[in-house]
This record gives sequence, structure tokens and C-alpha cells, in this order.
Amino acid sequence: MVGKRAGKWKRILVSWILRVIMILLSAVMIYPLIWNLYSSFKTNTEFLGDAMKLPEHLMWDNYIRAISETNLGVSILNSIGIVIVSTAILALLTIPCTYCLVRYRFPGAKLILKVYMALLFIPDSSTLIQLFLLMRNLHLLNSRAALALLYAATGVAFPVFLLSGFLSKIPRDYEEAAMIDGCGPFRILINVVVPLARPGIVTVCMFSAIGSWNEYMTAMVMLTDEKKKTLAVAMAHLYEVQRYATDWGTLFAALVIALLSTLMIFMIGQKYIVQGMNVGGVKG
Amino acid sequence: MGKKQKKKKLPVLFIGICVIPTVVLTLIFKIYPTVNTLIMSFTDANLLGSGTFVGLHNYTYMFQDKYFILALKNTVKLLAVVSVVTIAFSLILAFILTQSRLREAGIYRTILYIPNVISLSVVAVIWAFVFNARMGIVNSFLDSVGLGMLKRDWLGDSNTALWCIGVVMIWQAVGYYMIMHIAAIDGISQEIYEAAIIDGAGKVRQLLSITVPLIKNIIGRTFILAISGTLGMSLSLAKVMTGGGPNGASSVLTYYMFQQGMMQGNFGYAMAITVFTLIMSLGLSFLTEAITEKE
Repeated sequence: MVGKRAGKWKRILVSWILRVIMILLSAVMIYPLIWNLYSSFKTNTEFLGDAMKLPEHLMWDNYIRAISETNLGVSILNSIGIVIVSTAILALLTIPCTYCLVRYRFPGAKLILKVYMALLFIPDSSTLIQLFLLMRNLHLLNSRAALALLYAATGVAFPVFLLSGFLSKIPRDYEEAAMIDGCGPFRILINVVVPLARPGIVTVCMFSAIGSWNEYMTAMVMLTDEKKKTLAVAMAHLYEVQRYATDWGTLFAALVIALLSTLMIFMIGQKYIVQGMNVGGVKG
Repeated sequence: MGKKQKKKKLPVLFIGICVIPTVVLTLIFKIYPTVNTLIMSFTDANLLGSGTFVGLHNYTYMFQDKYFILALKNTVKLLAVVSVVTIAFSLILAFILTQSRLREAGIYRTILYIPNVISLSVVAVIWAFVFNARMGIVNSFLDSVGLGMLKRDWLGDSNTALWCIGVVMIWQAVGYYMIMHIAAIDGISQEIYEAAIIDGAGKVRQLLSITVPLIKNIIGRTFILAISGTLGMSLSLAKVMTGGGPNGASSVLTYYMFQQGMMQGNFGYAMAITVFTLIMSLGLSFLTEAITEKE
């Protein structure tokens, strides 16, 4: 009896120790972002003082300058446009393709699936320069539409991998019933398969959207025109510029805007991302 | 009857329309560049032209290039430390969050995952300021706890620049692998843990004797992902945070490839570095796979 009670106290103690550890760790993890947030209200003189100190007043002016003196707004619009177009292309490419690859045993289907699995192992950085040379030869540098197409075309492997899991789990009965009702393969795909695979499709789209939104190196290499830059490129560029212009307030405010816009997309898609990682990531 | 018929008659037009565009785009934008990387690595292609065939010269030259050797050493250091620390940390965190039954576990999970969704360029800029000598919080923190003598220009010091990048990599990736490990641990039957508790096994013992062996395969896969993830992040972070500096002290293979190819136009040499990096990362992946899939 005594042992049991001691065990209970010990458990409570352990769980509080763990709680304190987790709170401290979470604080350390999130602190750079919080610091970024409150520092964005500092004056440029305050930046030279103690870094951890809170600002004396809220300098909303930093935000006004971040919006009016940089191309941040344009960059955000560029990013949104590229994300929407590339995600739409990716969905149009990968849903029908993966469906055919897992449903119809045509010659080569297995091979194509295997090639896509292998392509998962080829990192983007290894084709970066070749893609630059290719796009230069095709006269497609500095085009936002071309970058969106490029994101979709180079991002096919992971969606095929994830969707093939989702699609092969759909029972064939639904499709066969639709076929008996006289539906052609196109109608079956659009009216039967797509609604059934919706969670998988949304997951793939969220991954793709966040990936394109955050992508930095390819966008930096492909887009040089100031007015065409994506948010990720614009932020790195702004850092280069403001570091020497010593207008840190503007830079920090811009960083916060970039952070919040990303977190907003993340919050919208959080449910699907976690779900998708469980299904397609490493399980099974 | 209907089934047999379906197997015989494939809707060829439908399959063609569905599959061909994707495959063609993959051929143009993924396979062609990859194959071309290999071909060009045997040439001295540069800004002036596509160059001539030079055999293995690029590959032998790189081992006489002290900046390549430095970048290789740095990459190996990062891979060895960052991948291992990230996976170990994320595993421990996943274990704590799944086994402790803290009510607010979801909050920690979200907080730890947030760094993973931020663009690497934004991450790099924020951390460049965190480590900044004059305005950074690292030095400010050291001052406030009376360790002012440890203050330094973290990114400008050749002893610390590389490890600053390593810290950012761990910060960025730990939540991602934690969520994967949580999913894996959730798949383990709770009864096994209960049996272990009856046998008097402590938490550390449970982690090492139950969790790790049971999800060994998954740890292997997350480790492979961590290796390629570390390589993938290294380019953007080195580019924005340090530019490979000071004097190559934080240069990594991906960044050196970028420097040789995009900045100096030595495409042939850059391609050889790329092929080398790719083979290295594939080799490590297969090795990991072989070790964890054994038995």
C-alpha cells in the first residue's frame, strides 16, 4: 500500500520534471522567433543596445517602412501566384498519372513507379546548375510561370509516392460499380476516385504548396528581376541590402511578415500535414 | 467475365493522356539534368562553352583542391554530428511526448514543429542575427549570465561558423523527425510497455530495450532522410548565413559546388563535385539501410 502511494508520488514528480524540461526546451526553440517578433518594434539605436531587451516603444514605423520601402508586397503576391499555379499543375499531373500507374497493369507501369521511387533520392541541389543551364537555353529564365512549371515538374516524385499509397487503398468496387453504370475512365477518375482520395490529394497539395512557398535556391537562381522575386528570395536579398544599410528595424519587420504569412498557411494545412506524414512518411 | 475483359482491354488513350505528360516533364526536368550532370562531370565545360572531354580529370583534381577537401571535411562533420544528434533528440522527445501523457503534449509538438515550416532563407537570416556579434542574443545571453569572456563573432570565427550552421539544422529539423517517431511509437502496443513496467523496467530502459529495437527500421529510414535533409539544407544555410566563410571554414560540398558552378562558371568541375556528393549520400543511405534492415 505504501509502495503504491510512493509510486504515485514518484510518477507525479517525474511528470513535473518532464514538464519543466519540455517547457524550457520549447522556450529555447521558440525564443529566436519571439525575439524576432519583439525586436521588430525596436528603433535602430535600440538594436545596438542589449539584444535581449524589450523595446521601449512599439515602432510600428518599421512595418510601414517594410511595406512601403521594399518590394515585400510584390514578393508575397509572386509567391502566392507561383504556389497556386505550381500546386495546380502538380495535382493535374500526379493524380491521373499515379491513378493509372497503380490501377492499370500496363507494360512499364511498375518501372515508372520504381523510377519515381529512385528519384526521391536525388536532392534538388544536385540538378540546380543543370536546370539553370536548361532554362537559360530554353530562354525561360526570369519567368514566374516557368518557375511554377519547374516546381511542379521537379516535384512529381514525392506526390506519386504518397498518392500511390492512398490510391491503391481505394477498393476497386466503387470503380467497377461506376463502370457498370456506363462511366468512362475519365468520369470514374473525376467523380469516383478523386473524391475518395481527397485526404491524400489535399495532403499532397499542402506539402507541395509549403515546399514551393519556402523554396529558396532554385527561385534565387531562376529569378533575377527585382519585381519577380519570391518571398524567400526577397528576404535573403533584403538581408544583404539592409545589413549594410543598417536599417534593421525594417528587416526585422519584414521577417515577421514573412514568418506570419508562412505560419498562416501552415495553420490552415496543419491537420493534413501531420496526417500525411503519418501515412506516407515512414510508416509501413 | 467483366473482370477478365477489363484486364485484356486497357483504355490506352486514357492512360496515355494521364501518364505521358508527367513522364515527359520528368524526363526533361529531372532525368535529363541528372544524366547531363554525370556527362558534364567528365568535361571542362565553363562559361565559354560546353568544353571537351577530360576523362576523370575533375575527379582527380578535386583531391588536390584544398578548398574541396575542406568542404568535404566540413560536410562529413555536419553529417556525422547533425544527423545523429537530430535523430537522437527527436527520438527522445517523441518518447517523452508519447509516454509521459502530459496533457499539453500537443502544444509542445506544435512549437517544436514550427521551425520546420519556415523558409530556410528566413531561418538563415533570423539565425544570422541570433549569432551576430553585436546585435545577437547569444552574446547578449552570455553577458547576462556572466560568461562574457565566451563572447565572439560566431559566424566570423572559423572555429564556430560551421557549428552555428549545424545548430540551425538541428533546430529546424528536430520537430519533423519527432513527429515521424511519434507516429512510429504510437504503433507499438501499449501492453509491451505495461509488461515491462511490471518487470520493473525504468523509462530509460524502456526507451532502449523496447522502443528503439521495435522501431529500428523506421529509425533507419528517418536517419536516411536526415542525411539527405542535412545535405539539402547545407546549401541554403551556408549561402545566406556565412557564404562559406571565413575562408572556407563553413563551406560544404553543396555550397562549393554552387560556388564553382554558379559563381565561377566552372560547370564541369561543379558537376563532378555534385556527382561525388550524390554518390556519398546514396552510399550512406544504403549503408544505413543495410545496417537497420539486418536480421
